[in-house]
Amino acid sequence: MIIENITIAASEIFTLGTIFLMTLGVVAGLIAGAIPGFTIAMAVVLVLPFTFGMNPVQGLATMIGVYVGGLSGGLMAGILTGIPGTPSSVATTFDGFPLARKGQPGLALGVGVWASFFGGVISAAVLVLVAPQLARIGQEFQPWDYFALMMFALTVTASLAGDNMVKGLIAGLIGLFVATIGEDAVVGVPRFTFGVDSVQQGFAFLPVLIGLFAFTRLLSDVQDRQKAQQNLGASSAEAVRLEHMKAAREVLSRWVNLVRSSLIGVFIGVLPAAGSSISNILAYDQAKKNSKEADKFGTGHIDGIIAPEAANNATAGGALIVMMALGIPGDIITAVMLGALLIHDVVPSPTFITDEPVIAYSIFIAFFVANFLMLAMQSLTLRGFVAVTRVRMYMLASVILFYCALGVFALNNVQFDMWTLLWFGIGGFVMRMFGFPIVPVILGVVLGNIAENALAQVIALSNDPTPFVTRPWSLFFIVLGLFSSFFHIYQKRRGLSRWTLAFIPAMYLTLSIPVFMMEGTVRPVLGVGLGLFGLYLLFRRHRSGWVIDGPKERIATGGLEG
Amino acid sequence: MGRINRDTVIAVILLCLVGFLYYASYGIRTPEFDRLAPGQMGPGLWPRMILIGLAVMGVFYLLQSIVDPPPPAEKLGGLIGWYRHYRNPIWCFAAFAAFLTVIPFLGMLIAGALFVFGLMTLLGPKNSVALKQHVLTTLGTVGGMWFIFACLLEVQLPKGEFTGGLEEWLAVNVCGLVASIGEAVAWIDGGACHLASAPIV
Repeated sequence: MIIENITIAASEIFTLGTIFLMTLGVVAGLIAGAIPGFTIAMAVVLVLPFTFGMNPVQGLATMIGVYVGGLSGGLMAGILTGIPGTPSSVATTFDGFPLARKGQPGLALGVGVWASFFGGVISAAVLVLVAPQLARIGQEFQPWDYFALMMFALTVTASLAGDNMVKGLIAGLIGLFVATIGEDAVVGVPRFTFGVDSVQQGFAFLPVLIGLFAFTRLLSDVQDRQKAQQNLGASSAEAVRLEHMKAAREVLSRWVNLVRSSLIGVFIGVLPAAGSSISNILAYDQAKKNSKEADKFGTGHIDGIIAPEAANNATAGGALIVMMALGIPGDIITAVMLGALLIHDVVPSPTFITDEPVIAYSIFIAFFVANFLMLAMQSLTLRGFVAVTRVRMYMLASVILFYCALGVFALNNVQFDMWTLLWFGIGGFVMRMFGFPIVPVILGVVLGNIAENALAQVIALSNDPTPFVTRPWSLFFIVLGLFSSFFHIYQKRRGLSRWTLAFIPAMYLTLSIPVFMMEGTVRPVLGVGLGLFGLYLLFRRHRSGWVIDGPKERIATGGLEG
Repeated sequence: MGRINRDTVIAVILLCLVGFLYYASYGIRTPEFDRLAPGQMGPGLWPRMILIGLAVMGVFYLLQSIVDPPPPAEKLGGLIGWYRHYRNPIWCFAAFAAFLTVIPFLGMLIAGALFVFGLMTLLGPKNSVALKQHVLTTLGTVGGMWFIFACLLEVQLPKGEFTGGLEEWLAVNVCGLVASIGEAVAWIDGGACHLASAPIV
């Protein structure tokens, strides 16, 4: 059965048309990722309108191409100009730019490209191995568990997306509310339409997404009049020849760093809301801590380029694991992909791999292939990147705004969708202006109808709400959701308030209860282990007299929207 | 305790809006002929749950804004200062709204070209070199995108009341030419296949 599915999926991916589209996607992603201020998510969002005419496999393969290309594109700007093209490549500039300035830009770029490639391939292997296993767990989920999982995904995104957890939660709830406008899925009764016929069917997903994300982002980019008239590249970059052979040897000879960074990337990708903007910094930090030449980091050390580039590409695999195994997005880009699946009437759920095996295996194959295409296209797009740096932001924004309108109209041939784009663009801009994060709104819009359907199933099965706390998986996600809601406060107060010392042990202890309640032998044993570890942490805190030792460094999550 | 700040005002507006929407949620009624089956979720339940969540968060937000007020916002210097600060986004929204308004009269192609050229000129420099660049960029990008969507993706883009003739002419001639080339390629392909499969005499 698996072989058959792989064969069918491969026959869909390895067609001239699909490979051509994926190549275009990779090139578009590489160039978009290289433009400072132009995020990968924006590139994936803007490619979405072109995918309507394609079948789901071609559409997803193209978007994966953009995703992988975008993750690797950021290194070009980071290494050649010192300004990261995307938040995913921030740490690449720490050593990439100094190495390029030492007269080895070809080697620096080559190392970045090959580290990206190997990071992507390692995470693709993990994706293929882990996603079906995780999906088996997902199949145990009943509507209570699935509903709790979605609430957890929304809560954790809301709490990590900005500086203010309350604003993040309000943004997520606004997204859920937007999804309720129009006919309800159960009885088809119009809701909150206020007599406007055009919203009877609800707002189409794409205009809302492009309005909230791309429109808002572009307007923020041109808000400063002087910056809007400057070139996209702050300094003039020049195309250089990539030293492929030497770079590949260098990367493979440092395989421990490569594998460790890739696994960090995959792990961060699996966590909802945490993306490549975090993984590249974490991997760099770990590489530095574990290096014998830590003092040389920041001066053009090869390991300092390998770690962030392997990690950021590997994050994509982690995010795809969550999307495919559990039906919830791991980051903003997989949220867009889920939206694309919904447009093609494929409803994401924990049974996605079982229900849609051809699409699932196509995603596996496309992710592998995209990494090879990225490797092949990087040298070519280097020249394109150099040309793009000469374009001015206001010109790019004007053209893209028109393109947004065109793309949104092409979805349903409905002019009202373009007005939806404008209203949500204004709404998103105002929200951003007042400090509300946009990502939770988008996640709320994507998950809204799915969560409502899960709740409808819960109510159809029983009026009794106790399964939410008596079913282990549901309780597990509720506990995780509660702790993740307060994680932001914990991070702020860590080292300042005494209660923060008990936060992590309390989380382990509480999580041990639902894990202990699960069926089988392994999971209850794991539950006991978690509980004991929590107790051990408490004991250690008690022995050290609950002493707080000043504020701790926080992981920056500002780039989450990229 | 602080004075009234921006967050307090937003929280109060949010709470008022939530109150209004909660009231409106009672207008959601299941038609008589489609009574809910036992155990079926009513269409108003889920939105009300979200609105209650929003109300709770709104109260937290209000309390937070009073107890721990945000740092005072940057002084923009009255209405004129505010306009100067947000000039570019306001122009973008206004130009986009104008573009959508004139589409029924000028069609996607002409309205789009005017929008792109107009917005570039509003946001960018206005010297002769820049204006030439704007014209060329507009022609290249809008024309290119119109070609991709109208001819290659075969999307029926909106035609204008005043310019419908021009768009019709372009669609017939440009897209027609593309279609003819496609047919010719298919014919050559088909011919080649035919020749390849023909028996060698």
